Amino acid sequence: MLRFVIRKMISKKWMLLALLIGNILSVSIASANPMYTRAMLQRTLTRGLEDYLTENNAYPGLITLTMANATKSLETIKAQDAWALQMEEKYQVPAIEKVCYRFTQSVRGALEMNRSDAQEPMLSIASLNEMEEHITLLTGRMYSQAPDAEGIIDVIVSEGAMRGMNLMMEDVIEFPRLLDSAGNSVKIRIAGMFTNKSQEDIYWVRNPNYYYDECFMDPDLFNSLFMNQDTMQNSISTTWYVLLDYTQFRGENAQAMLAASEYLTGELNSQFRKNYRDNFTDVLSNFVKTEKKVNVTLWVLQTPVFALLAAFVFMVSRQMLEMEQNEIAVIKSRGAGRGQIFSIYFIQSLLVALLSYGAGIPLGAYLCQVIGASNAFLEFVNRGSLPVEVHKEALLFAGAASLLSMAAMVIPALRYSKASIVGHKRQKNKKITQTPMWQKLCLDFIILGVALYGLYSFSGQKDILAVRVLEGASLDPLLFLSSSLFMIGAGLLAVRVLPLVVWVLFRLFRRIWSPALYASFMRVLRTRSSQGFIMVFLIMTIALGVFNAQAARTINQNAEDNLRYAIGADLVVQEKWADNASSVADDPNLEMEYYEPDFGRYDDLEGAQAIARVYVNKDISVSVSKGTVKNVQLMGIHTKDFGEAAWFKDSLSDIHWYHYLNALSRNSRSVLLSRNFQTTHGYKLGDTITYRNKNGDSQMGIVYGFVDYFPGFLPVEYKQGTDGVFKETENYLIVAHLQQLQSSWGEEPYQLWIKNKDGSGYFYEFAQENGIGYTLFQDSDAKLTEKKNDPVLQGTNGILTVGFIVVLLLCSVGFLIYWILSIRSRSLQFGIFRAMGMSMREVITMLLNEQLFISALPLGVGAAVGHFTAKLYMPLIQLAYAASDYAIPLEVVSHTADYVRLFVIIGIVILLCMVVLGMLISRLKIAQALKLGED
Amino acid sequence: MDAFIDAKGIKRRFHTSGGDFWALKGVDIVVPRGKLTILKGRSGSGKTTLMNILGALDKPTAGEVWFDGKNIVGMSERSQAKLRRKEIGFVFQSVALIPMMTAQENVEYALRMARSKESWEKRAEECLKMVNLGTRMKHMPQELSGGEQQRVCIARALAHRPKVIFADEPTAELDTLTGLQVVKIFKTLCEQEGVTVVMTTHDTGLMEIGDAVYELEDGERVYGRA
Repeated sequence: MLRFVIRKMISKKWMLLALLIGNILSVSIASANPMYTRAMLQRTLTRGLEDYLTENNAYPGLITLTMANATKSLETIKAQDAWALQMEEKYQVPAIEKVCYRFTQSVRGALEMNRSDAQEPMLSIASLNEMEEHITLLTGRMYSQAPDAEGIIDVIVSEGAMRGMNLMMEDVIEFPRLLDSAGNSVKIRIAGMFTNKSQEDIYWVRNPNYYYDECFMDPDLFNSLFMNQDTMQNSISTTWYVLLDYTQFRGENAQAMLAASEYLTGELNSQFRKNYRDNFTDVLSNFVKTEKKVNVTLWVLQTPVFALLAAFVFMVSRQMLEMEQNEIAVIKSRGAGRGQIFSIYFIQSLLVALLSYGAGIPLGAYLCQVIGASNAFLEFVNRGSLPVEVHKEALLFAGAASLLSMAAMVIPALRYSKASIVGHKRQKNKKITQTPMWQKLCLDFIILGVALYGLYSFSGQKDILAVRVLEGASLDPLLFLSSSLFMIGAGLLAVRVLPLVVWVLFRLFRRIWSPALYASFMRVLRTRSSQGFIMVFLIMTIALGVFNAQAARTINQNAEDNLRYAIGADLVVQEKWADNASSVADDPNLEMEYYEPDFGRYDDLEGAQAIARVYVNKDISVSVSKGTVKNVQLMGIHTKDFGEAAWFKDSLSDIHWYHYLNALSRNSRSVLLSRNFQTTHGYKLGDTITYRNKNGDSQMGIVYGFVDYFPGFLPVEYKQGTDGVFKETENYLIVAHLQQLQSSWGEEPYQLWIKNKDGSGYFYEFAQENGIGYTLFQDSDAKLTEKKNDPVLQGTNGILTVGFIVVLLLCSVGFLIYWILSIRSRSLQFGIFRAMGMSMREVITMLLNEQLFISALPLGVGAAVGHFTAKLYMPLIQLAYAASDYAIPLEVVSHTADYVRLFVIIGIVILLCMVVLGMLISRLKIAQALKLGED
Repeated sequence: MDAFIDAKGIKRRFHTSGGDFWALKGVDIVVPRGKLTILKGRSGSGKTTLMNILGALDKPTAGEVWFDGKNIVGMSERSQAKLRRKEIGFVFQSVALIPMMTAQENVEYALRMARSKESWEKRAEECLKMVNLGTRMKHMPQELSGGEQQRVCIARALAHRPKVIFADEPTAELDTLTGLQVVKIFKTLCEQEGVTVVMTTHDTGLMEIGDAVYELEDGERVYGRA
């Protein structure tokens, strides 16, 4: 049986290849998703922890375990120790250091050799485990392991303690209130002064100088002196610093680690009161939120590609069965049961699935690298490779994908195995003219209806959707599903409508069609059901490809535009201005004065194309009839400079925004207002408006225009209220002349808005060279790069890119197979046509015409469907990516280059297809073809 | 006798995996104009090969074929196609209708191919009536029986008023009675319309009807009566 199946498979090697391609792709995508998600999340987590390190200058893996009160109970201390030593196990992460710091209460000691300048020092005795490995002695010697003959113990102190406590080397201090276990007072000698071995040594959670009143003795000696009986003589405190190796934090364990942290916090804080702290909980809980978002988003984005892959496998195996119908019938007539036939196909699909499983997973790992390197749609950067590993989850998903495509291969066999010779012929007759099931059921209208209802209801909840995203929700799967349904519905509808168009065309010129064209029309019109699937498939693939491209472009462009708009220019900076704040504090009668830094420095800044001074004050109030509008944003600009330096998108304004600037420049008192002054408060052009700064100084302006958008002005913002709920707030804007403001309100710190010639690197050099500090520094390029590293955005780009490529591949292979098979199965027909006197050229014309209607038309329709879907759904879908910078209206972006790519590749495939066809046909001998038909 | 086709020394070699195979080893044959010529022979004797060569579907390895005074062996592909379109009608052993067209459309298609000036509809109807299928014109090929399909093929072959009709075992898949009917149609065509018909068969019973009869065996002519 197995040999029979293998031989059968080899005889259909092209179909087999197509099946393998479909299967391998679906396995690799299924496995790539979890592999990629985990690898990228791992990178995100590590980056998050590293950011914590640089921002807080604290080790992200640190756990601190202290006790609120010193204790004399040895048992309590031992319990604390036990907890500390369990941390590695609780978190499943190895610790780099486990630092145990014990100290007695600080007590007054008596210097044996009293010095006139020294008081009796307040000191505590302390120990740090493994201290000797982490220090260098600046002077003197190491602490002793035991008291000397006189009972004096050598200790070492930090530089800070030496200075702060005014100690000297070889000072001997006796602590009358500090007793060893025998009840004698402890005597120490300052034997050495230490510092940390290296500045980077993370052992020193606290800098050595933090220990300014501690004398460190040998840890073992400390234990034997103070901690050798159940009830100790002195109260001892212990602090544990457990430094977990944060580079070994695993994304997939984040949830468990958070749970552990919560448990430990609860448990330990009740036992030792407020004593457990770690540095990584915040990073981890942020990470878990991101993780959820990424997981949902990526799966949602990938589902349509999966559906297509399954459809592809289904299509190919159906074709294969169609070709083998005769064989099935023959085998059956020889007495094979349905079960046997079914098992032939089962074994075949099992073999294909196994092969694909083996090949698909490495390909999946490779795909991960491709996705990981994606910067934008079809754009890759060299971004340090992802730590991809093939893990259980990936294998599981790949297995599931294999099962799915096995089902797609076996299910059609189920039906075909029923057929006997008689039934087969009868069915064949019926099928040619049958209306497909979905058309009878009006499935296209139903699906389209559901999709449009989804669109309608989501559009109604746009604000809720945005708020939900701000609260941490991810791309709504239902929304995305409804966009996919729209594509399917529209595609099916097109397949229903297209033949009608062809029919009209055919009817109109019925008489004049050449025999070749006539035959091709007949074929297109009369064998609809066999082409229906390829047409739907082509429409779907192209629609998805176009949609993917536009979705990615739109999300990226929108994110970038919003960012640039909100910042206002390539660089927005404000120097630190000197002021007389200290004098004002002494004498409240003084006016606050600022001293303008030297801005001449910026005049010949190499990399800057334009620089504008912009005064921004968001604390302005305006009296209106219904009360006062507070928190109005005031911008003082120099119109010409501003126009050159600021970033603005022409589409945001119905007339070019320079016209507004020109209007403003006409009068020194003129102002531009945000639109809501007009709509909400009834201001009209030519009105005067009076606004006040927080000192109560008022200013009058004449309204010269109303703007909907202005660089750096967010008309609407979502702000989290005190109750944690996000609310939409409207913002107000007044744009006035900088000079006017300065002359009446005096010099106040203003911002510099800079347009770069090419990149912002020069500015960093400039700032460093001149040692300028900035109180405000916003670099659009840098923010953009940061944004592009966002795992959700990055994953989206990656998945959409891979989806696009897969779609292209599928479309090409599907197309080739369909055509080659359809030619092969029609060699008898070609024979007839040729025998009846059709020339080779005419046969090719006929095929070309068929291509036009069966392939080219669906390709065009597919592109239109994809484009339309993006237009309808992107405004909602992109909310998941940029709800917070929901500042300017969305533009659905399409890059012609993507279309070019898509259609060039498909064009090449069609060309290739034609070459293969040409070869097949020219090799076709009429006589042979006719003989073939005898089978 | 007026020879419509005069073929001399026809040889045809096929390359097969088992070496070269000579299907025809030098056959001379004359097809009289306006008569029914029968090529007889067992399967594998080379009769279909010979007929394909006579009908410009295949080229001989050697020899010449004079078709109504023209040597068709040296003709270009396109002229051959034109010749088939205008002057020849074929009826094949297997039913060779175009599956997505009705009986009538199949017949009309031959007229369209030949760019006939006649009313296609009328002529198609006429031809189908001639083969007694006047009532089943609108049926798809799959809805017709084997004999009916074969008769549609004949109607299609004669629709564009070809000078010659080649029929390769047209009766092979039919029962004796229907087979006889088909042959009678051919005979009538010869007598009433003056069409030349060449037909192959292995049915000895039909041989008496032929005006000229040739028998082939192993690629060689073993019998001839003109």
